[in-house]
Amino acid sequence: MTKFLVFLEQREGVLKKSSIDAWNRVQEIAALSAGAIVTGLLAGPVDRQRIGDLLAGDGVVYHANEERLRPYQQESYTRLVTSLVKQESISALFFADSSLSRDLAPRLSVLLKASLLSGDLLFNRQGYPDGSFRPVYSGLATASFSPQRNISIYTLSPSRGMVIRSSADGTVQVMPTAQYHHSSDNLLAEVRRIVLRQNSLDIAEAGIIVAGGRGMGSSAGFALLEELAALLGGAVGASRFAVDEGWRPHAEQIGQTGKTVAPQLYFACGVSGAPQHLAGIASAGIVVAINSDPDASIFQVADFGIVGDVHLVLPKLIEALKEFLKKK
Amino acid sequence: MNIAVCLCQVPDSASVIGFADGALDRSRINEVMNPYDEYALEEAVCLKEHIAGSLVTVFTVAPLSAKDMLRKALALGADRAVLVSATEPSDPYLRALQLKSALMEFYEGIIPDLVFCGKSSTDFQSAQVPSMLGALMGIVSVSGVTSLNLSGEYLHLEREIEGGVEQIELHYPAVISAEKGLNQPRKTTVKAVMEARKKPIDLLTVSVDGAPLVLMSDLKALERKKVCRFAEDEKDLVLLLSNECSLFPGD
Repeated sequence: MTKFLVFLEQREGVLKKSSIDAWNRVQEIAALSAGAIVTGLLAGPVDRQRIGDLLAGDGVVYHANEERLRPYQQESYTRLVTSLVKQESISALFFADSSLSRDLAPRLSVLLKASLLSGDLLFNRQGYPDGSFRPVYSGLATASFSPQRNISIYTLSPSRGMVIRSSADGTVQVMPTAQYHHSSDNLLAEVRRIVLRQNSLDIAEAGIIVAGGRGMGSSAGFALLEELAALLGGAVGASRFAVDEGWRPHAEQIGQTGKTVAPQLYFACGVSGAPQHLAGIASAGIVVAINSDPDASIFQVADFGIVGDVHLVLPKLIEALKEFLKKK
Repeated sequence: MNIAVCLCQVPDSASVIGFADGALDRSRINEVMNPYDEYALEEAVCLKEHIAGSLVTVFTVAPLSAKDMLRKALALGADRAVLVSATEPSDPYLRALQLKSALMEFYEGIIPDLVFCGKSSTDFQSAQVPSMLGALMGIVSVSGVTSLNLSGEYLHLEREIEGGVEQIELHYPAVISAEKGLNQPRKTTVKAVMEARKKPIDLLTVSVDGAPLVLMSDLKALERKKVCRFAEDEKDLVLLLSNECSLFPGD
């Protein structure tokens, strides 16, 4: 029997949305394939949430409910996952793509001799995941990757819109799991503190992103984007130029040396559309471009566009949107 | 303190990147140091400048043509440069195996105190080699580091996480993967470039015993053109979006 394991990530005692999304997607995959069993592994405590209520479908979640696992710790997390994968004979391990999985998954790949794959999943005839497909060379090309070992590890990029389904169907059983406390656990690397930015929706998890580039002219120019993002319930992003100029923090950078995002709706305002930027939005849904240069390459990847100066177009767009929302 | 920096070459993003027969058309590209590796090298050189008796050695697994990049690294402050010859690795795991074997041979089995890598290479963008190298060497690794401070035997690091920053404390040895923001890489000076020309480049050959974990295929140029529909005005755009996008507020 094929067994899938989904790594469920909590941060500060809250189960991450991207992990719930990954679990639900793996449930869908299991339903379409010839009867795979879905299991989960949760490291560290989750406060004030009932884990079973958050997750769809049937399955078992192994919960290492230990306070010392609350912060991410590479060595103990590695040992926890490797022992469960071996013990349960897992054939595919899934992560939501995150800073944690990018740190942990390559290590697991080496220790489990498992094929590590990221990007969009490819499937075999039985409906099992069997490789991936993703952009390479800064989004100028794509390539397929196929696993060469019996165990595969997949890191799932956020799905468009991150729909969290209701969990009315099925029962998720939570089973405590313990971890050996190794004497070598003298905490080689220890997370001392997590500093979260206030009230900011992370671009990696946002359904709508309003991004600005060189055309915004200054950090003050981004006030318009903040206003538009607030109206839409989205997050603000930036091009490399805007970040290098110090207009916005690096955490908001989209593209080759920044983040890869997959919002349902993406506004590119005053962004010319360099290949390095486009690399970060290859999985975006609807792209809207606003640029004064009608020949800007951003229009070649946009679904909708307005040619004009962002400083003139954005205030009118915000007005039009406010009016539209009033009528609703 | 022994500080190793792993470098790789990638196509310059300004050059014409084309594909022929499922492979990169190398005839028209100019190869440069991977952008993230510049942050890795800069951080290593900064550390060296603060710790007496430290030695920064750069490594690359590449063809002989990578000597130019190694000379640049020497001009940027590295003490020694090692060009590692090996069969072209087909996946990040083999690349990490080759690097490990080169480091072990160069340092005669003694694990260097710090190994710096760029967070990801801009060609295949797997971002796996640094953590894999840590696992193979049996030492801790931290990916995507944006701040590094050394105090005594401890390293204080910061790395970006979703919506914030993680502050990490660790003992070295460790593999550090450098993220943009870690520092501002310096520029080479004419004098340093001249001096670097005189420095030797060590040659090392490694062969590793291992099979790839992943096979890449079907490399092809991405055709991503869409037909852009231009809105008549802002009101029109709002209407278009409210019809096309389910997340649009008001629906």
